[in-house]
Amino acid sequence: MPRGDAGMSGDAQPGPAEGILGRLVTVWALLGGGLLAGIVAVNLWAVIGGAVGIPFAGDFELTEMGTAVAVFTFLPYCQLTRQNVTAEIFTARASPRAIAWLSAIGSALALVFGAVLLWRMSAGLMDQQSYGYATTILQIPIWWAFVPILVSLGMLCLAAIATLRDDFDVAR
Amino acid sequence: MAPVTIGLLGLLALILLIAARLPIAYAMIVVGAGGIAWLNGPGILLNQLKTLAYGQFSIYDLSVVPMFILMGALATRTGLSRDLFRAANAWFGWMRGGTAMAAIAACAGFGAVCGSSLATASTMGKVALPELRRYGYAPALATGSIAAGGVLGILIPPSVALVIYAIIVEANIVAMFAAALVPGLIAVVLFLVTIAIYVRVFPGSGPAGGAEDRAAFWAATRGVIPTLIVFGIVIGGIYAGLYNPTPAAAIGVFAVFVFGLLRGTLGLRDLRDSALETAATTGMIYLILLGAELLKIFMSRARVPQAAADWAINSGLTPMAVLLILLLALVLLGCLMDSLSMILLVLPFFWPVLSEINGGLYQTAEGSGFGMSTEDLKIWFGILALVVVELGLITPPVGMNVFVISSLARDVPMATTFRGVAPFFGAEIVRVAILLALPALSLWLPRVIAGG
Repeated sequence: MPRGDAGMSGDAQPGPAEGILGRLVTVWALLGGGLLAGIVAVNLWAVIGGAVGIPFAGDFELTEMGTAVAVFTFLPYCQLTRQNVTAEIFTARASPRAIAWLSAIGSALALVFGAVLLWRMSAGLMDQQSYGYATTILQIPIWWAFVPILVSLGMLCLAAIATLRDDFDVAR
Repeated sequence: MAPVTIGLLGLLALILLIAARLPIAYAMIVVGAGGIAWLNGPGILLNQLKTLAYGQFSIYDLSVVPMFILMGALATRTGLSRDLFRAANAWFGWMRGGTAMAAIAACAGFGAVCGSSLATASTMGKVALPELRRYGYAPALATGSIAAGGVLGILIPPSVALVIYAIIVEANIVAMFAAALVPGLIAVVLFLVTIAIYVRVFPGSGPAGGAEDRAAFWAATRGVIPTLIVFGIVIGGIYAGLYNPTPAAAIGVFAVFVFGLLRGTLGLRDLRDSALETAATTGMIYLILLGAELLKIFMSRARVPQAAADWAINSGLTPMAVLLILLLALVLLGCLMDSLSMILLVLPFFWPVLSEINGGLYQTAEGSGFGMSTEDLKIWFGILALVVVELGLITPPVGMNVFVISSLARDVPMATTFRGVAPFFGAEIVRVAILLALPALSLWLPRVIAGG
């Protein structure tokens, strides 16, 4: 399967992630996977507990917050292993060098995206903190979720730099 | 410059960026963000970016997506697919073409625990291709039926694409899950009939495998029980209104996990791989979702969907003609893009057109363009659209299902697989015609569930 052409859901193949950054990014994504497993557990408890009379309050907000944090931890892994789908049909006959240049534009965009979002969501964290926003039932401060998200965005930037460097190596 | 012109320029830029092999998600993000900044100034955009991504990623209804993906990732590693195929082969294998039919039935069954077409095709391909070869099936029939069987998954709940569609057009996810079941089963029946006809037109392409003895038959049949249980508690529970899709998916993840542990098929390495596969697919989907949201904000501020709707109304075309044009456009686009990007990219434009033609969001059946309420139209169109976007998976030039099967059966030329898929493509066209002619097939079950 051509890389990055993952198509529909559930079919993206985990690609190689080498080096220190690769290991770091993979562990970070696995932590996100663990968080997802935690959300699964919360939802199980909410259903089973609800049925046997030990209700679980706040499963909605934990699910929302946890999913958002988990998804952000996945983004650096996606970038480093190049999972983002592209339409390859128009460039099927382009030379590997030309494709590497186009690929470099994609990596650069990922870098800009990660950096801008890191900057803006840092401001978002300050807002959440100063207004004291919290979830309705469990009163968890929203800004807590922003901390791991900012780490994820920082790692996304590093991953984008790594893919950009690879693209340049091929392009030259 | 008029906002609409800016919007159309944005669309043109988007097409160019996608054609230039940029990741579709980033193309959407750049054009969406750029457009908003152009129309409203960068200040508003920068302010929105403080919380937009968090807001988008923490939508409760979306949380079902990573869970269904995780469930599918685990299911592909548990050996469920082998059990399903063995059972289906016990039922159908004695007939001519029966083992190919078994592959179709097993694909449908696997679609009930896995929401992905490609994963279904590749998992089932690994199990069924060697068997089809052993029984001496013609290569075109063998590879064609598995590539086609993969598309069954999109309508058989749980389907990630269904959830995404429901969220884009603000439809009820439970109603969509209900609506998809009958059309999904129709496809199974049509595919089985297709194989029956195929082996009569080309004698010798699918020899009968001979019946198994009673004990082997029952032993094989017992293999479907785990899948039935998972499907029953996940989708049955959703239909019965026992819980929301998210807890249902959580139960499904847990059930598949426990089954894998009991069978001894899930090791630590499998868990790690499942988690990484989930990370890769989920990250990709959510990034496209974020791009789609930015694009949606840009386009609605540029009033492009309204302009498209006005154009369609003033064109003098009948509602049915507009619907057919939109479906045809989806088929053609499906040849170039993957289904999910297409759903996210195109449906925000197509849906308002149909909704306006029908008489607006709150139109009831009486006096409407399509003779049904807009709520019903939403469900019906969703089913039709999902069927046609999947056709791209089995047509050249980028038939991903065909690519996947070709990579598993390296001795079969890809052209042969495309030829083998062609009859199933025909069956899909018949299905679209049936669903178009009889909206009740899609709308009946949601109504029963809402009433009950």
